[in-house]
Amino acid sequence: MEKEGILKGLTEATIAGDVEKATSLANEAIKAGVDAYEAIMDGCARGMSIVSEKYEKGEMYVPEILCSAEAMYAAMDILRPHLKAERVGAPKKVVLGVVRGDIHDIGKNLVKLMMEAAGFQVIDLGRDVPSEKFVDVSVKEGAEIVGLSSLMTTSMVVMPEVIREIKKKSPKTATMVGGGPLSPELAKAYGADGYAKDASQAVKVAKSLISGVA
Amino acid sequence: MQDRMTPMERLVAVLMGQKPDRVPVNPFILGFAAKICNLPVGDLYADPRKSFKAQLLCAEMYGYDATPMYGYASFGAWEFGGKVGMPYEPGQSAPYVIKHPVESAEDVDKLEVPDPRKAGSIPIAMEVGKLCHENRMPAVFQCGEVLTTAAMVAEPARLLNWMVRKPDVVHKLNKKIAEFFIEVAEYFTSTFGADGCMAFTGGPVESNKLISSKQFGEFVFPYMKQVHSKVLGMGVHTVLEHPCSDQNANLPYYVQLRKDLGWNGKYIWVFGPETPLEKQIECFGEHDVIMGNVDPPSFQFKSFEEVLALCKDNIERGIKNPSGYILGVGCELPPLAPPINVYALMKAAREFGRFQ
Repeated sequence: MEKEGILKGLTEATIAGDVEKATSLANEAIKAGVDAYEAIMDGCARGMSIVSEKYEKGEMYVPEILCSAEAMYAAMDILRPHLKAERVGAPKKVVLGVVRGDIHDIGKNLVKLMMEAAGFQVIDLGRDVPSEKFVDVSVKEGAEIVGLSSLMTTSMVVMPEVIREIKKKSPKTATMVGGGPLSPELAKAYGADGYAKDASQAVKVAKSLISGVA
Repeated sequence: MQDRMTPMERLVAVLMGQKPDRVPVNPFILGFAAKICNLPVGDLYADPRKSFKAQLLCAEMYGYDATPMYGYASFGAWEFGGKVGMPYEPGQSAPYVIKHPVESAEDVDKLEVPDPRKAGSIPIAMEVGKLCHENRMPAVFQCGEVLTTAAMVAEPARLLNWMVRKPDVVHKLNKKIAEFFIEVAEYFTSTFGADGCMAFTGGPVESNKLISSKQFGEFVFPYMKQVHSKVLGMGVHTVLEHPCSDQNANLPYYVQLRKDLGWNGKYIWVFGPETPLEKQIECFGEHDVIMGNVDPPSFQFKSFEEVLALCKDNIERGIKNPSGYILGVGCELPPLAPPINVYALMKAAREFGRFQ
């Protein structure tokens, strides 16, 4: 199969959540000498970008997206070891987590997925994350962005404190928030640099923040 | 302004299709009651006596028209053999799952429908029910929704993935959960009599932020219909139904449910703020009560005047429902809401929701 066919196939396999096809095409890409970075970005990531658009339009829902993620990660596991350092560059780092007291992580995991597909390096702190950990990890990793997620009105109240500490200890790091009870107004009141209403918006907001802090 | 009816008289009037003195108020208060009574929120879910007393005192203090109840969104994990934590730590507002009892398709095969007399939180719910019954209030039991419960039994992302990869496994799990809910309903109705009970159901996993209406039709509707049909068949007359979050695309199925059940019983619909009251009236207004859906986070983050204005708007739109309206909140009232904002509900009901 020619390069264009492989890339198109990887895009389609990602959208369809077809793990078998994604795996086979990733192996074929390596065999055919297709650049691994190109296969990831113009194949899998393009597919995930279409998935994100479809989610935004109500044409795809979380069950299908989770399958798309499986297909994308299956292909990426094969392609990653073949990445050439000079092609990748230094990816922008995003520290991501659900704030203390909150264990609802579907939204955060979708954001992680979309961000990884868009080429960010995501450091996932998981859920019920102590406030200090967001600050410590963002400083240690030199993160460009810290993303805080919350689904509950009782847990989101720690966000201003976390954002303040990050601003104090790592002034160049941008912060963004998201989750059910959040709103653009609350995000602003909390001192966050960005707000994303869902996973598809998160990548756009992160990109705009990166261009702002670069 | 003085109220002329007691909360129970007011609620009965609405359920009977009569006009009470003013619109009733049900702020969907759980954790907030614990805060008001200076208790940890965990006590509201772990200690039935404290839970009942806190909810009762909170309702008395404000004068709203809700009776104590017991239930939470992560219901199912503990009942089917997993483990939950009670919300005693900062930031927590409801029980949360520590261990999901199902991790594989084989686990679903092995899963046994638990005995409701001993399962997880049911003894606590039963104890709250007994206290309600002794005080001539309805004993509330949780009977859904099935998919949200399945997500708590099997872990949400796993279950959502299985809906595409292993739909048969999801159906197998849903069947067991539906069977369990029917047994819970039988346990409560045999203890208190059907007239002494009210069913409560709802959940967030059915939301169209997660699943499509088509998936709702396949994985929710048949089980919801099965459980509701049985519950109404036992003689339970009132169902408090809370389609959580944005479920606008699922509305045709909820209407179909009521049609298929012959519009039997009285449903009290508590949709999220995403579903306009006018749409709800169009769907259910000829038969059912609609509970208002003021935006929950507003109670925590907006001023008294702003919340009062939201409540007034909700009353003016909801009061047009021919089969009755209750001023309420579109999901649980935030436990950290300033206490004065709950008073906004009462003030609005007394000033703008009075019937002649």
